Amino acid sequence: MISDSLVMPILQGIHLSRSFGQGETKTTVLYDVSIELFAGQITLLMGPSGSGKSTLLAVLSGLLRPDSGTVMALGHDLWALSDLERERFRLRHCGFIFQGYNLFNALTARQQLEMVVRWGEGASAREARRRAEEMLDLLGLAKKAHLRPSELSGGEKQRVAIGRALIKEPNLCFADEPTSALDWKAGQQVIELLRSAAHDRGAMVLVVAHDARIIEHVDRVIHMEDGRLWQQEESEPVLHTIKQAR
Amino acid sequence: MTSYSLITLWYERQRYVPGVLAVGFSALLIALQCGLLLGLFSITSIPIDHTQADVWMGAPAVSSVDLGRPIPEGTLARMGALPEIERCEFYLQGFAFWNKPNNGGSELCMVIGSNLSPDSLGKIDKLTPEQCGLLAEEGTVIIDKSDEKKLGVELEKKAEISGYPVRVVSTTRGLPSLAGPYVLCSIATARKCLPVQKDQTPTYVLGRCRNPQDAPKVVKQLNQYKDVLAFTKEEFSLRTRLHWLLRTKAGIALGYAAALGLLVGAVVTSQTLYAATVASLREYAVLRALGIPRWRIAGMVVSESFWIGIIGIALALPATYGLAWAVESCIRVAIVSLPWWLLSSAAAVTLVMALVSGLFALRSLRQIEPAMLLR
Repeated sequence: MISDSLVMPILQGIHLSRSFGQGETKTTVLYDVSIELFAGQITLLMGPSGSGKSTLLAVLSGLLRPDSGTVMALGHDLWALSDLERERFRLRHCGFIFQGYNLFNALTARQQLEMVVRWGEGASAREARRRAEEMLDLLGLAKKAHLRPSELSGGEKQRVAIGRALIKEPNLCFADEPTSALDWKAGQQVIELLRSAAHDRGAMVLVVAHDARIIEHVDRVIHMEDGRLWQQEESEPVLHTIKQAR
Repeated sequence: MTSYSLITLWYERQRYVPGVLAVGFSALLIALQCGLLLGLFSITSIPIDHTQADVWMGAPAVSSVDLGRPIPEGTLARMGALPEIERCEFYLQGFAFWNKPNNGGSELCMVIGSNLSPDSLGKIDKLTPEQCGLLAEEGTVIIDKSDEKKLGVELEKKAEISGYPVRVVSTTRGLPSLAGPYVLCSIATARKCLPVQKDQTPTYVLGRCRNPQDAPKVVKQLNQYKDVLAFTKEEFSLRTRLHWLLRTKAGIALGYAAALGLLVGAVVTSQTLYAATVASLREYAVLRALGIPRWRIAGMVVSESFWIGIIGIALALPATYGLAWAVESCIRVAIVSLPWWLLSSAAAVTLVMALVSGLFALRSLRQIEPAMLLR
């Protein structure tokens, strides 16, 4: 049985173009890019530096307006929404993980997560604490909930950052180079967590990375170079199920 | 929001110390300067605060006790006729020139002539019964010990006030003066020293009420007449101090210095918060990417400014008392007045300044751009 959510793209970029600069310094980073991303799938977007993959992630996630093209996310034309509506959309549906952990130095692992729930959803302190502790438990960080970033390893910090992104239970999860600052063991743990978010929670996960070792952990790999998508590979089971459904 | 602000302030306290100190310095400066000026100007109301009268009646539009003018002699009977008044008496006060002995130059002094009986209403309470006895002789005066040098005299030395010869028969302690040294004497001597006091006119008529709480009522009745202006003791004391505070350049200097202190505090606090916010821009950018509203982040910055204000004020209050004590220990005169309303006002002004600094620091939030986190 194939669910509709796997067949219908949850996030779709259509003829996206984006340039930076003006006149002679104008550089085009995305050339007429179209992409479909599905719920329950973890997709790796690979490419050399400057290929435009982070720009594509920013455009798809509602952080950077494209020069032309459309982003359809959960049935919404993302860039037709007002700034406030797009902010609310991100609040309700999007999670982000960045290369730098960007955690507040003063706050403990638990407080980093609580802050998102309290400020984002207006949850009570007790509710935020409960959810933060649940998430940290899931991330294997239950015993480190009281520690600040300076007391955590790089892998632990990135797991806290993942927890911060997932505690809202987002439908769309974007990760930009989430493993590049980690050793492979810690990187594997991070990828497994993202994979679990896709497979167990049904989220669409888009990972931008250089590291080829990640390929075997994802459902789908998209290669990008010079602002264009030039090759899309699907892991066998996923490819099979999608073809069957079609 | 508050808990995150406090946690951040404590954890990164070294970063916030300049802001806290700036706020504390501002609060200290305002409280101490105002207290010093208030204390200093309370010297001007000594003749009111250190005497026994409940009601003071002087010339119309009199703005300060030292600026009294002669009023008709018959006003005494007017006050005495009021049933609430137990007794009333004349009181003379005015500026005069003190000519030092041996042509040593002259000095402006404040002559105070009052009834010297034990139940006198206008007698300064620092005068002992023996001193009052000495002043009964016409041409005798008492000055404060601290003014001897200024007036160029010592005990039993002679000088002149407006050409009238006087002799210093005793000295008091703890009677500081501002515009001119206080010279205490009898009404008869004062009338000779103050040429403006013609015939039998007084400068003020002082009254004591059978029930001190009737003083406002008495004042109201007396003020139905246009040739005098009456006050309760408290009203006249405040009026005198406010006159000196607001009508002299000292008040302006105070305002200027306090404003300068506030400005320094505001700039340092604002810059501290600005730098702290900029240092956390990437963390805030993640929150913005996650859709956390900008006002939440702004609220945290303003909340930090509030706590910086509270901590700064909490540090400033004991420091203010400590410095006031140090000043008074040095000059041995209680000169810094720190009533609760003054301290509360200084704290409120400083807290508002800290909050405004927080609002100014919000300009740093314009730099938050979630897309900057993506390389």
